[in-house]
Amino acid sequence: MRPVQCAACGNQVLCEKYTPAHTSVQWTADAAVVCAEFRDRVGQGATSARIRTCRSLRTAIDRAVADGTLEVGDVRVDV
Amino acid sequence: MTALNDEARVIEAGRPPTRFARGWHCLGLADAFKDGEPHEIEAFGTKLVVFQGQEDGALHVLNAYCPHMGGNLAHGTVKGDAVACPFHDWRWSGDGRCAGIPYARRVPPRARTRSWTTLERNRQLFVWHDPEGNPPPPEVIVPEIAGVHGPEAGQWSDWNWKTLRVEGSHCREIVDNVVDMAHFYYVHYAFPEYFKNVFEGHVATQYMESSPRGDMELGTLSSGMLRSDASYYGPSYMIDHLYSDVGGGLEMEIVLINCHYPIDADSFVLQYGAIVKRLPGMTDEQAAEAAAATAEGATVGFEQDVEIWRNKTRIDNPLLTEEDGPVYQLRRWYEQFYVDVADVKDEMVQRFEFEIDTQRATTAWRAEVDENLARRAAAETETGAP
Repeated sequence: MRPVQCAACGNQVLCEKYTPAHTSVQWTADAAVVCAEFRDRVGQGATSARIRTCRSLRTAIDRAVADGTLEVGDVRVDV
Repeated sequence: MTALNDEARVIEAGRPPTRFARGWHCLGLADAFKDGEPHEIEAFGTKLVVFQGQEDGALHVLNAYCPHMGGNLAHGTVKGDAVACPFHDWRWSGDGRCAGIPYARRVPPRARTRSWTTLERNRQLFVWHDPEGNPPPPEVIVPEIAGVHGPEAGQWSDWNWKTLRVEGSHCREIVDNVVDMAHFYYVHYAFPEYFKNVFEGHVATQYMESSPRGDMELGTLSSGMLRSDASYYGPSYMIDHLYSDVGGGLEMEIVLINCHYPIDADSFVLQYGAIVKRLPGMTDEQAAEAAAATAEGATVGFEQDVEIWRNKTRIDNPLLTEEDGPVYQLRRWYEQFYVDVADVKDEMVQRFEFEIDTQRATTAWRAEVDENLARRAAAETETGAP
């Protein structure tokens, strides 16, 4: 997994892309605390676990793919 | 030959955990326990008794076996707010205190039995299980379902509820379904087109959009697109919000509960039930029928799961492809309920998201469905059958 930083709030996650449509995201801290978008929505009464995705983070991941810092398909499932 | 076998994957079956999960467990519809009789529940490797106090009206859960001489309270009778043992009529209150022993001069000072923390919500009864004996922390709640407790509850049907006893399998088998995209096609005859998981804290979610397989007749399920948004809250209680395309631009809203409690390490009771929101113009009766049809459809699905579990092995080291969901990360999440609170690691509860690329799978499955339909059509032409 490769680190990706969100441009909106600086939160760093670990990412993996098997294909352009596949995305795996491992957060490394409490999402409701470190992510600005989650913080806002949790403040409005949402449950962090029930938020499907952070749009800013998704944009950052797409950008990391576009600029080559996150390679697509360079991983294998070996468990 | 030998060389090939040297490389053969060896299944690690492991052993089911010796302890039972920490969390709220749904025992069934609350009304089912409100008939004035004590009810026996086999759970957590022991037996429990559920009864309703005649005065307080509350549901209580105690250890079923009477600490006096081991009589089974579930075979006794409710007397006031206590349950009376059929063996010597010792009376036990919902809080576990001995409320009286009619033939004895005094109650022994240490006459206490185990009382289980209960919760009535969503018209269901829950019991809290924690091997460490701590009370439920406030953040581990069972959410209220709007169709039961919300302002629009009047527009929803009653629960249509089912119970299925599963022998020979640990309940991890059903939890694995959260991530198992491909089994929805093979076992449940659905066609997943979008599939994403999110695990965070004590919640594990599956977002799925699917259509039915064109080559399978299930009868009871809808024929259009189905959106499913399903979360386990803790180890055993899943709320699944379903939005089913019923044609004419209308979407039927359904809530399906999928929950279980362990009987022992090797068997569990699976329960599920549905409520349906009335569509415009729908009568109460039609909504009840829709809930029944949903529960029937779920029955077909779960029975097919059970058939798989009955014949499969436990496997701790599944061999996965990129199109399989995150089984290992789901089990890492699930592990939090089987360790002491002090041993819950960050990695078990920190947010994890996994979105499967379904394109490869749907392409293969579409071809398979088309082939099945073509073969069937050819056979019908040959025999002249309609």
